[in-house]
Amino acid sequence: MKILFKEVHELWLATQFTGFMSKTQSRPELYEYANIFFKHLTWLENDFVKNEISYDYNVNHVPIKVTHISHMINNIIARIIAVEEKLKSCKDGDITFRMQSDLTYIKSALEKLPEEEVAPAFDTKRVYPNVELSEEARDALTLFLFEESYKEYELIMVYNYSKANSNDAFLNRIFQILIDESFFHLRSFGQMMADMGILGVPRSLMEEIYKFDDLEQFLKDGIQEEIGAKEECKKLAAAVSDSSEHFASFFTFINNQENYHIALMEEALAYINSK
Amino acid sequence: MTANAHLMEHMMNPKNYGDMPENDAIGIGKNPQNGEKVAIYLKVKEGDEPVIDDISFQAIGCTTTVVSGSIITSEARDITFSRAEELISVTLGMLDKLPPEDAACSEMVALALKAALDTYAERQKDKDFPVISYIIKTDCTPKEEEE
Repeated sequence: MKILFKEVHELWLATQFTGFMSKTQSRPELYEYANIFFKHLTWLENDFVKNEISYDYNVNHVPIKVTHISHMINNIIARIIAVEEKLKSCKDGDITFRMQSDLTYIKSALEKLPEEEVAPAFDTKRVYPNVELSEEARDALTLFLFEESYKEYELIMVYNYSKANSNDAFLNRIFQILIDESFFHLRSFGQMMADMGILGVPRSLMEEIYKFDDLEQFLKDGIQEEIGAKEECKKLAAAVSDSSEHFASFFTFINNQENYHIALMEEALAYINSK
Repeated sequence: MTANAHLMEHMMNPKNYGDMPENDAIGIGKNPQNGEKVAIYLKVKEGDEPVIDDISFQAIGCTTTVVSGSIITSEARDITFSRAEELISVTLGMLDKLPPEDAACSEMVALALKAALDTYAERQKDKDFPVISYIIKTDCTPKEEEE
């Protein structure tokens, strides 16, 4: 069951990041399938929690550097088949049935996706389409995308772990909003990484990142990190403002979204302190 | 491959990243300034001199730390402990040529490797010897923030 959990986690990442490299109608379709695999992950996780089985988010590195999308589609289908073979290790018949039904359909849908050349997503040229970036702005944007794509993945998993292991409806509402927000950011940054030719799957998380004892401290640290991210967005918006109005307004938009995340974390902190 | 493309490759696909449940030794490098840390896991082949048979690392840290970890662990694979000590010494000797934030990241990885070698040596005498952690000396505050 733990191997099944790990493989579903890797399947989700492989599908999500294949979505980033696509520039066709396959992208939204892959996003939807990635969503379904993430949902499967949470089902299996809830089964662990219900049965008081310890688990972790350790995964093997997910290689995605390919020239054509069919290579990744074949890889995803092979991953689905491996998951199907291990489904019997899950004792919950309802989960098994639902997952099998989804997997059967997705496998057949994936086979119909058109071929697409995706090598530019990995060419490391770091040229953003239709945008002139100075060397400094390009380096800053590159580092920002690596740091923040990892950070958004980390936040998705941290809040997901907290949510799975809490019965508090108030906190879980906040955790779910933060998960949804991080998904949006991960997708935005992942697409930009593919556009710049620097797409890579974030590294796996150390257990102590999500298995923490002090939620209050985590939220306080999280607020500081969001403030730091806001500053980075401001700097990037300024750095690219001469070359791309669209880019500058995107980073201003992300910067302003961080205010909402901070407000949510402050709301969670106030709630914890009032108990 | 240009230097930039080489670095990009380490960012996109860090080498030797991940845990190693069946390890012979673990070492930790820490930065108390910001809570960042690196863990290095070793599998060791015994012979006339111990050799690093397998190595991996995990980090709570920035992209520079991950790139340093990827490069240093790649260099350390399949070398003897004395060669690994030289690698650590060379890395630590180059720190003053790097910007402070990059130096701190490289020092953290080098010290994690040193801690793993030392943990292994101690465990030859006492198999329950705890994992050794070393703390970096470099101040990672970028110069413009100090001014």
